[in-house]
Amino acid sequence: MKIQRKKLTASVPAFAMGDIGFLLLIFFVILARAQDDSHVQWQPAKLEEADMVAASLASVTIDTGFKTYLDGKELSNDELAGALMTILGDAPAGQRNVFLKVHKEAKASHFEPVIAAIGEAGGDLIHILEPDEQTK
Amino acid sequence: MKLQRGKVLVDPPASASSDIAFILIIFFLVCAAVQPETGISQVLPKTEEKKDKQEQSKNLEVSITPTSIVLNGSPLKLPEFAQRLTAALKQKTRDADKIVTVKSSPDTPYPLWIDVSQTIKEAGGILTLELESDRVINVE
Repeated sequence: MKIQRKKLTASVPAFAMGDIGFLLLIFFVILARAQDDSHVQWQPAKLEEADMVAASLASVTIDTGFKTYLDGKELSNDELAGALMTILGDAPAGQRNVFLKVHKEAKASHFEPVIAAIGEAGGDLIHILEPDEQTK
Repeated sequence: MKLQRGKVLVDPPASASSDIAFILIIFFLVCAAVQPETGISQVLPKTEEKKDKQEQSKNLEVSITPTSIVLNGSPLKLPEFAQRLTAALKQKTRDADKIVTVKSSPDTPYPLWIDVSQTIKEAGGILTLELESDRVINVE
Protein backbone atom coordinates (compact mmCIF):
# COMPACT_ATOMS: atom_id res chain seq x y z
CA MET A 1 0.00 0.00 0.00
CA LYS A 2 1.29 3.41 -0.99
CA ILE A 3 1.13 6.30 1.42
CA GLN A 4 0.15 9.56 -0.26
CA ARG A 5 2.39 12.43 0.67
CA LYS A 6 0.79 15.70 1.52
CA LYS A 7 1.55 18.37 -1.08
CA LEU A 8 3.05 21.44 0.56
CA THR A 9 2.68 24.79 -1.15
CA ALA A 10 5.42 27.35 -0.52
CA SER A 11 4.37 30.94 -1.20
CA VAL A 12 6.33 34.15 -0.84
CA PRO A 13 4.71 36.31 1.82
CA ALA A 14 3.07 39.30 0.14
CA PHE A 15 4.29 41.79 2.74
CA ALA A 16 7.91 41.07 1.72
CA MET A 17 7.31 42.34 -1.84
CA GLY A 18 8.11 45.93 -0.84
CA ASP A 19 11.45 44.88 0.65
CA ILE A 20 12.32 42.80 -2.41
CA GLY A 21 11.50 45.74 -4.69
CA PHE A 22 13.59 48.06 -2.52
CA LEU A 23 16.65 45.80 -2.67
CA LEU A 24 16.29 45.37 -6.44
CA LEU A 25 16.10 49.12 -6.85
CA ILE A 26 19.26 49.66 -4.77
CA PHE A 27 21.02 47.06 -6.94
CA PHE A 28 20.06 48.81 -10.20
CA VAL A 29 20.89 52.26 -8.81
CA ILE A 30 24.42 51.13 -7.90
CA LEU A 31 24.78 49.48 -11.32
CA ALA A 32 23.66 52.64 -13.10
CA ARG A 33 25.95 54.90 -11.07
CA ALA A 34 28.95 52.74 -11.93
CA GLN A 35 28.37 53.56 -15.61
CA ASP A 36 28.12 57.34 -15.34
CA ASP A 37 30.74 59.91 -14.38
CA SER A 38 29.20 61.20 -11.16
CA HIS A 39 32.03 59.63 -9.15
CA VAL A 40 34.62 61.82 -10.93
CA GLN A 41 35.59 64.77 -8.76
CA TRP A 42 35.73 68.16 -10.52
CA GLN A 43 34.59 71.74 -10.04
CA PRO A 44 33.26 73.74 -13.01
CA ALA A 45 34.63 77.10 -14.04
CA LYS A 46 32.19 80.00 -13.93
CA LEU A 47 30.90 82.04 -16.85
CA GLU A 48 28.28 84.76 -16.90
CA GLU A 49 26.54 83.59 -20.08
CA ALA A 50 26.32 79.86 -19.42
CA ASP A 51 23.10 78.56 -21.02
CA MET A 52 21.15 75.34 -20.74
CA VAL A 53 22.60 72.75 -23.10
CA ALA A 54 21.16 69.79 -24.98
CA ALA A 55 21.83 66.16 -24.09
CA SER A 56 25.14 64.59 -25.11
CA LEU A 57 26.30 61.30 -26.56
CA ALA A 58 29.49 61.32 -24.50
CA SER A 59 31.00 63.14 -21.57
CA VAL A 60 34.71 63.87 -21.18
CA THR A 61 35.89 65.00 -17.75
CA ILE A 62 39.22 66.31 -16.48
CA ASP A 63 39.15 65.80 -12.73
CA THR A 64 40.90 67.46 -9.79
CA GLY A 65 43.93 65.24 -10.40
CA PHE A 66 43.94 66.34 -14.08
CA LYS A 67 43.20 62.82 -15.30
CA THR A 68 40.95 62.37 -18.34
CA TYR A 69 37.76 60.29 -18.17
CA LEU A 70 35.35 59.31 -20.95
CA ASP A 71 31.91 58.52 -19.53
CA GLY A 72 33.50 57.85 -16.16
CA LYS A 73 36.28 55.58 -17.41
CA GLU A 74 39.86 56.80 -17.18
CA LEU A 75 41.84 56.80 -20.41
CA SER A 76 44.80 58.56 -21.99
CA ASN A 77 44.49 61.49 -24.40
CA ASP A 78 45.89 59.32 -27.21
CA GLU A 79 43.04 56.82 -26.82
CA LEU A 80 40.35 59.50 -26.52
CA ALA A 81 39.78 60.35 -30.21
CA GLY A 82 39.35 56.69 -31.19
CA ALA A 83 37.02 55.96 -28.28
CA LEU A 84 34.92 59.03 -29.11
CA MET A 85 34.68 58.04 -32.78
CA THR A 86 33.28 54.67 -31.70
CA ILE A 87 30.65 56.31 -29.47
CA LEU A 88 29.66 59.04 -31.95
CA GLY A 89 29.49 56.60 -34.86
CA ASP A 90 27.48 57.93 -37.80
CA ALA A 91 25.41 60.38 -35.77
CA PRO A 92 24.51 63.38 -37.94
CA ALA A 93 26.03 66.81 -37.38
CA GLY A 94 24.27 68.69 -34.63
CA GLN A 95 23.60 65.47 -32.74
CA ARG A 96 27.22 64.71 -31.93
CA ASN A 97 27.32 66.63 -28.67
CA VAL A 98 30.24 65.89 -26.37
CA PHE A 99 30.25 67.44 -22.91
CA LEU A 100 33.64 68.68 -21.75
CA LYS A 101 33.84 69.03 -17.98
CA VAL A 102 37.14 70.60 -17.03
CA HIS A 103 38.17 71.17 -13.43
CA LYS A 104 38.56 74.92 -12.94
CA GLU A 105 42.22 74.63 -11.91
CA ALA A 106 43.24 72.72 -15.06
CA LYS A 107 45.84 74.26 -17.36
CA ALA A 108 46.07 74.44 -21.15
CA SER A 109 48.46 71.49 -21.19
CA HIS A 110 45.63 69.39 -19.72
CA PHE A 111 42.58 70.54 -21.70
CA GLU A 112 43.93 71.51 -25.14
CA PRO A 113 44.86 67.93 -26.15
CA VAL A 114 41.36 66.86 -25.08
CA ILE A 115 39.75 69.59 -27.22
CA ALA A 116 41.95 68.47 -30.13
CA ALA A 117 40.81 64.86 -29.66
CA ILE A 118 37.14 65.89 -29.61
CA GLY A 119 37.71 67.89 -32.80
CA GLU A 120 39.48 64.95 -34.40
CA ALA A 121 36.52 62.69 -33.60
CA GLY A 122 34.14 65.22 -35.16
CA GLY A 123 32.31 65.95 -31.93
CA ASP A 124 30.27 69.07 -31.20
CA LEU A 125 32.05 70.46 -28.18
CA ILE A 126 30.05 71.78 -25.24
CA HIS A 127 31.97 73.23 -22.31
CA ILE A 128 30.07 72.54 -19.09
CA LEU A 129 30.28 75.64 -16.93
CA GLU A 130 28.53 77.10 -13.93
CA PRO A 131 26.55 80.33 -14.38
CA ASP A 132 28.29 83.15 -12.53
CA GLU A 133 25.54 84.70 -10.41
CA GLN A 134 27.80 87.39 -8.88
CA THR A 135 28.56 89.20 -12.14
CA LYS A 136 24.91 89.23 -13.27
CA MET B 1 -18.21 65.82 35.63
CA LYS B 2 -15.89 65.52 32.65
CA LEU B 3 -15.15 62.20 31.14
CA GLN B 4 -11.50 61.62 30.16
CA ARG B 5 -11.15 60.32 26.67
CA GLY B 6 -8.57 57.66 26.14
CA LYS B 7 -5.83 58.89 23.79
CA VAL B 8 -5.55 56.70 20.72
CA LEU B 9 -2.10 56.57 19.13
CA VAL B 10 -2.17 55.70 15.45
CA ASP B 11 1.09 54.29 14.09
CA PRO B 12 1.58 53.87 10.37
CA PRO B 13 1.79 50.17 9.62
CA ALA B 14 5.42 49.01 9.72
CA SER B 15 4.93 46.97 6.58
CA ALA B 16 4.40 50.22 4.61
CA SER B 17 7.80 51.71 5.52
CA SER B 18 9.60 49.92 2.69
CA ASP B 19 7.01 51.21 0.23
CA ILE B 20 7.53 54.74 1.54
CA ALA B 21 11.31 54.36 1.10
CA PHE B 22 10.75 53.04 -2.42
CA ILE B 23 8.68 56.07 -3.40
CA LEU B 24 11.24 58.43 -1.83
CA ILE B 25 14.07 56.84 -3.83
CA ILE B 26 12.08 57.15 -7.06
CA PHE B 27 11.50 60.82 -6.24
CA PHE B 28 15.19 61.59 -5.61
CA LEU B 29 16.28 59.59 -8.68
CA VAL B 30 13.95 61.56 -10.94
CA CYS B 31 15.14 64.85 -9.38
CA ALA B 32 18.80 63.91 -9.98
CA ALA B 33 18.16 62.77 -13.55
CA VAL B 34 16.42 65.96 -14.66
CA GLN B 35 19.02 68.35 -13.24
CA PRO B 36 20.01 70.34 -16.36
CA GLU B 37 23.60 71.11 -17.40
CA THR B 38 24.73 74.61 -18.30
CA GLY B 39 27.58 75.68 -20.52
CA ILE B 40 28.61 76.99 -23.92
CA SER B 41 28.89 75.17 -27.22
CA GLN B 42 31.67 75.31 -29.78
CA VAL B 43 31.70 73.64 -33.17
CA LEU B 44 35.01 71.90 -33.83
CA PRO B 45 35.85 71.02 -37.43
CA LYS B 46 38.26 68.12 -37.88
CA THR B 47 41.84 68.61 -36.79
CA GLU B 48 44.04 69.62 -39.68
CA GLU B 49 47.73 70.06 -40.26
CA LYS B 50 49.20 73.53 -39.98
CA LYS B 51 48.78 75.48 -43.20
CA ASP B 52 51.27 77.73 -44.90
CA LYS B 53 52.80 80.13 -42.41
CA GLN B 54 52.34 83.09 -44.80
CA GLU B 55 48.60 82.41 -45.09
CA GLN B 56 48.26 82.23 -41.31
CA SER B 57 50.13 85.44 -40.65
CA LYS B 58 47.26 87.47 -42.18
CA ASN B 59 45.00 86.40 -39.33
CA LEU B 60 44.79 87.92 -35.89
CA GLU B 61 47.03 86.18 -33.39
CA VAL B 62 46.31 85.89 -29.69
CA SER B 63 48.73 84.51 -27.13
CA ILE B 64 47.45 83.67 -23.66
CA THR B 65 49.62 83.38 -20.58
CA PRO B 66 48.43 83.24 -16.95
CA THR B 67 49.15 86.96 -16.56
CA SER B 68 48.44 88.48 -19.97
CA ILE B 69 46.56 88.35 -23.24
CA VAL B 70 48.68 89.39 -26.22
CA LEU B 71 46.86 90.51 -29.40
CA ASN B 72 49.20 90.80 -32.39
CA GLY B 73 52.14 91.51 -30.05
CA SER B 74 50.34 93.97 -27.73
CA PRO B 75 49.76 92.81 -24.16
CA LEU B 76 46.24 93.74 -23.01
CA LYS B 77 43.76 93.21 -20.19
CA LEU B 78 40.51 91.38 -20.99
CA PRO B 79 38.17 94.41 -21.37
CA GLU B 80 40.70 96.24 -23.56
CA PHE B 81 41.32 93.04 -25.52
CA ALA B 82 37.58 92.75 -26.25
CA GLN B 83 37.44 96.33 -27.55
CA ARG B 84 40.54 96.02 -29.72
CA LEU B 85 39.46 92.66 -31.12
CA THR B 86 35.94 93.87 -31.95
CA ALA B 87 37.39 96.91 -33.73
CA ALA B 88 39.86 94.76 -35.68
CA LEU B 89 37.22 92.23 -36.75
CA LYS B 90 34.76 94.92 -37.85
CA GLN B 91 37.12 95.85 -40.66
CA LYS B 92 37.11 92.29 -42.00
CA THR B 93 34.29 91.17 -44.27
CA ARG B 94 35.33 87.68 -45.42
CA ASP B 95 34.93 84.72 -43.04
CA ALA B 96 38.47 83.60 -43.86
CA ASP B 97 39.82 86.88 -42.52
CA LYS B 98 37.92 86.54 -39.25
CA ILE B 99 40.02 83.62 -38.10
CA VAL B 100 41.73 84.31 -34.77
CA THR B 101 44.65 82.04 -33.99
CA VAL B 102 44.99 81.35 -30.28
CA LYS B 103 48.17 79.98 -28.77
CA SER B 104 48.13 79.27 -25.06
CA SER B 105 51.11 78.75 -22.82
CA PRO B 106 50.92 75.32 -21.12
CA ASP B 107 50.12 76.90 -17.74
CA THR B 108 47.17 78.97 -18.98
CA PRO B 109 44.26 78.45 -16.55
CA TYR B 110 40.96 77.13 -17.96
CA PRO B 111 38.74 80.02 -16.74
CA LEU B 112 40.97 82.57 -18.52
CA TRP B 113 40.96 80.46 -21.70
CA ILE B 114 37.16 80.27 -21.60
CA ASP B 115 36.90 84.05 -21.10
CA VAL B 116 39.17 84.70 -24.10
CA SER B 117 37.41 82.18 -26.37
CA GLN B 118 34.01 83.62 -25.41
CA THR B 119 35.27 87.16 -26.11
CA ILE B 120 36.46 86.07 -29.57
CA LYS B 121 33.09 84.41 -30.27
CA GLU B 122 31.18 87.52 -29.17
CA ALA B 123 33.42 89.75 -31.30
CA GLY B 124 32.52 87.64 -34.34
CA GLY B 125 35.85 85.88 -34.69
CA ILE B 126 36.45 82.26 -35.67
CA LEU B 127 38.66 80.68 -33.05
CA THR B 128 41.55 78.53 -34.18
CA LEU B 129 43.77 76.74 -31.71
CA GLU B 130 47.44 76.36 -32.36
CA LEU B 131 48.69 73.47 -30.31
CA GLU B 132 52.18 72.65 -29.17
CA SER B 133 52.29 69.65 -31.49
CA ASP B 134 51.86 71.99 -34.49
CA ARG B 135 48.31 70.79 -35.00
CA VAL B 136 45.70 73.43 -35.77
CA ILE B 137 41.98 73.10 -35.03
CA ASN B 138 39.30 75.61 -35.91
CA VAL B 139 36.56 76.54 -33.51
CA GLU B 140 33.56 78.44 -34.87
